[in-house]
Amino acid sequence: MSLSKYISVFKISFVQEFAYRLNFVMWRVRNVMQIFLVFFLWDSVFSDPTRQVFGYNRDKILTYVFGILFIRALVFSARAVDIAGEISRGDLTNVLLKPINYFRYWFTRDLSSKALNLCFAVIEAAILFLILKPPFFLQTDFRILILFAVLLVFAVLIFFGLLLLINMTPFWAPESGWAAQFLFMGIITEFLSGAVFPLDIFPATIQKVLQFSPFPYLLFFPLQTYLGKISLSSMLGGVLASAVWVIILILTLNYVWAKGMRRYAAEGR
Amino acid sequence: MLKKISRYLKVWWLMSRNSFLGFLTQRFGAVIFLTGKLLRFGFFFIFIVFLLKGTKTLAGFNLNQTIFFFLTFNLIDVVSQFLFREVYRFRPLVVSGGFDLVLTKPISALFRSLMGGADVLDLITIPPLVVAIILAGRTLNPSILHSAYYIVLIFNSLVLATAFHIAVLSLGIITLEIDHTIMIYRDLTNLGRFPVDIYKEPLKGILTYLVPVGIMITLPAKAFIGLVSFKGILVSFALGILAISIALRFWDFALTKYTSASS
Amino acid sequence: MDRAIIVDHLVKNFEVTVKGPGLRGAISSIISPKRKVVRALKNISFTIQPGELVGFIGPNGAGKTTTLKILSGLLYPTSGFTQVLEFDPWDRRPEFLKQISLVMGQKNQLWWDLPAIETFELNRAIYEIPKRDYEETLKELTELLQVEKLLNIQVRRLSLGQRMKLELVAALLHKPKILFLDEPTIGLDLIAQEKMREFIYEYNKRNGASILLTSHNMDDLINLARRVIVIDEGRIVFDGALEELVNRFAKEKIIKIFLSEEVDIKRIEAIGKVKKIAFPEVVLSVPRSATAVAAAELLQNFPVEDLTIEEVPVEEIVRKVFRGEMRSRVLKK
Repeated sequence: MSLSKYISVFKISFVQEFAYRLNFVMWRVRNVMQIFLVFFLWDSVFSDPTRQVFGYNRDKILTYVFGILFIRALVFSARAVDIAGEISRGDLTNVLLKPINYFRYWFTRDLSSKALNLCFAVIEAAILFLILKPPFFLQTDFRILILFAVLLVFAVLIFFGLLLLINMTPFWAPESGWAAQFLFMGIITEFLSGAVFPLDIFPATIQKVLQFSPFPYLLFFPLQTYLGKISLSSMLGGVLASAVWVIILILTLNYVWAKGMRRYAAEGR
Repeated sequence: MLKKISRYLKVWWLMSRNSFLGFLTQRFGAVIFLTGKLLRFGFFFIFIVFLLKGTKTLAGFNLNQTIFFFLTFNLIDVVSQFLFREVYRFRPLVVSGGFDLVLTKPISALFRSLMGGADVLDLITIPPLVVAIILAGRTLNPSILHSAYYIVLIFNSLVLATAFHIAVLSLGIITLEIDHTIMIYRDLTNLGRFPVDIYKEPLKGILTYLVPVGIMITLPAKAFIGLVSFKGILVSFALGILAISIALRFWDFALTKYTSASS
Repeated sequence: MDRAIIVDHLVKNFEVTVKGPGLRGAISSIISPKRKVVRALKNISFTIQPGELVGFIGPNGAGKTTTLKILSGLLYPTSGFTQVLEFDPWDRRPEFLKQISLVMGQKNQLWWDLPAIETFELNRAIYEIPKRDYEETLKELTELLQVEKLLNIQVRRLSLGQRMKLELVAALLHKPKILFLDEPTIGLDLIAQEKMREFIYEYNKRNGASILLTSHNMDDLINLARRVIVIDEGRIVFDGALEELVNRFAKEKIIKIFLSEEVDIKRIEAIGKVKKIAFPEVVLSVPRSATAVAAAELLQNFPVEDLTIEEVPVEEIVRKVFRGEMRSRVLKK
């Protein structure tokens, strides 16, 4: 496998996003607006700075909100949302004719998008920081930071796996791509990963159930780790669970892809 | 005049029926979409319940009141999406050149672009929402006057929503670059999920008067609770009428700037 | 390797859902969807030598595109054997993919919002083309197609003809040994069509690439393919030289005469079937074997100023083949 292939893909994907500059800027503006809602909501709840609720104090909850901004840019940014359209229009044919691995191709394009979004997220976070002047919780324990980084890597992989699986539904239901994306990525994943509100809101029983799904490991669990709200052993347990999910998703992906390809070929699109 | 109204009503009915037939052929996607919207509603609802369980109040409002705010937001949101679903299809229409065909037909292009695709799915969700509002409203024991204020202000909110959508359409004619305009509108109104009082100044002021999300969404619910004076109602109406007239002017202006898309 | 492409007893079936019309049909297709089997290819066989230029013609829906897609590895055969460059296409090995190219009229690979050169660079990396070869090939292709000035313009700003030329460049940068062209002239104006044919011919000559092109445009056929495979309803109806197609299936020849005076048409009708009268021109068709005799008779007994003998246009022959008038005469080389 030659790296230059994928570096080229990364580059052209990056350039492509720039072709729609205004669009992209609007997208970032929307992201920031969504952060506003969440920020002020919690700001209002914790207007009394000594208040503690759901295990958070003012510092930690507002840090969580900023964490959402970053992790969305890192984990949730993706170009692979275009795969569904590619399959239903039959444009998949073009890519299949090329000597390039489909998964690696799209993962590279995702990385390109993540890089771009992350750059902007950093700038936006800096600006927001200056405007809102929130108290910020800085993690100093080095071991925790390493675990945090590892969890983020796994989060990226888990998200990619989930996204690809959803984007393969057009193999069987060609018109369903956008609806499936909306339901699974836009709603279920958003809420259950803690990207809208921290999962601590839920009573312990619900949280326990959620831990058997891959979603908390996308955002909530990494942030819990960063904020030091759980024990070290819990953190390690989470790392293990994330790794298990990555493996499950890889295996499922390969299986579903093979089935989908036969279906695509059978219908001759 | 009456004839014109009935003609437009018939056209609206036919357009909506076609929209419905289209829905049938995309049944799977439509069901998924509906499920998604119900889930989102459910998630936020659960969130509010658990949040207020822990915090007791939000910007001074208790659980029932917060729920009422949330339901009001949903009502206005769903009804506008029901009526104006076609606005989401506007950009592709212009880009493909289909808008030319719309302009040459003897039906107001604005009407067609605004209300041509009433969304059946939203129609299904409106009645249960109304029932929920009635139930939630009961717990707040409003006076008849306040209930009347509420209904009247909801109507005003829809007028404001119409103005917004017209503005979005107009922008869509002038510049094709803005793909997300309608979504920005949605993001702004989403800020009204919770009472705008949670925001600090100057954001709160902006949201209340400049981009009247506050008037559109928070105000009707506040009136229900009895926090709005008669003067406030009048001011809101004035704003509604002002918004519509500006929007209509903007639309006319936009049409003069229309450059037909080439293939 | 003496055979670039081998197809043996290839069968391909598709499963299609059938929907009834109107509201009732839509609802019943939800409750009990009906499926139908479409037999696209019914046992076809042929081989292609390296460097051959073969025209694959047939009416719409005959199975041409399906065959190309199977040979590129996009569809898998229901049964039968296919081999391209000694690979099984369905495996879609990188080494295989680097040597083939499939160009389809409507499927674009150029990135829409970017200049074509960006897609070319990407393809260079994907196909791992050495820099020197890439630059040489790029120069050659862009000169041949006269698109040097268009490389840095956003693709969406270009006309259809310009885009198709650039699509060709993108498809040929890696110098494929096998080129599948699906309806290459579709949607192009007459001049662009001619240029496209010229290019294909040149490319075949210069690079020795095997080219299999499908078309239902007769001009492509006449001007390009020395060998044609006629496919109709999933079966190969003829496989051989174009002249042979004409010879075997054209039972008649056309005689065109220019008269200096008007004559009684009934007398001409005694010699052959009159196809067209536009004084002074008369066109008639006569059985092949009787051509010389008929011509002599016309020259002797009628005020003929000019006389020419022509073949029945290929279009007509092929149309007859499509219409199944030749089905009983299935012929293969």
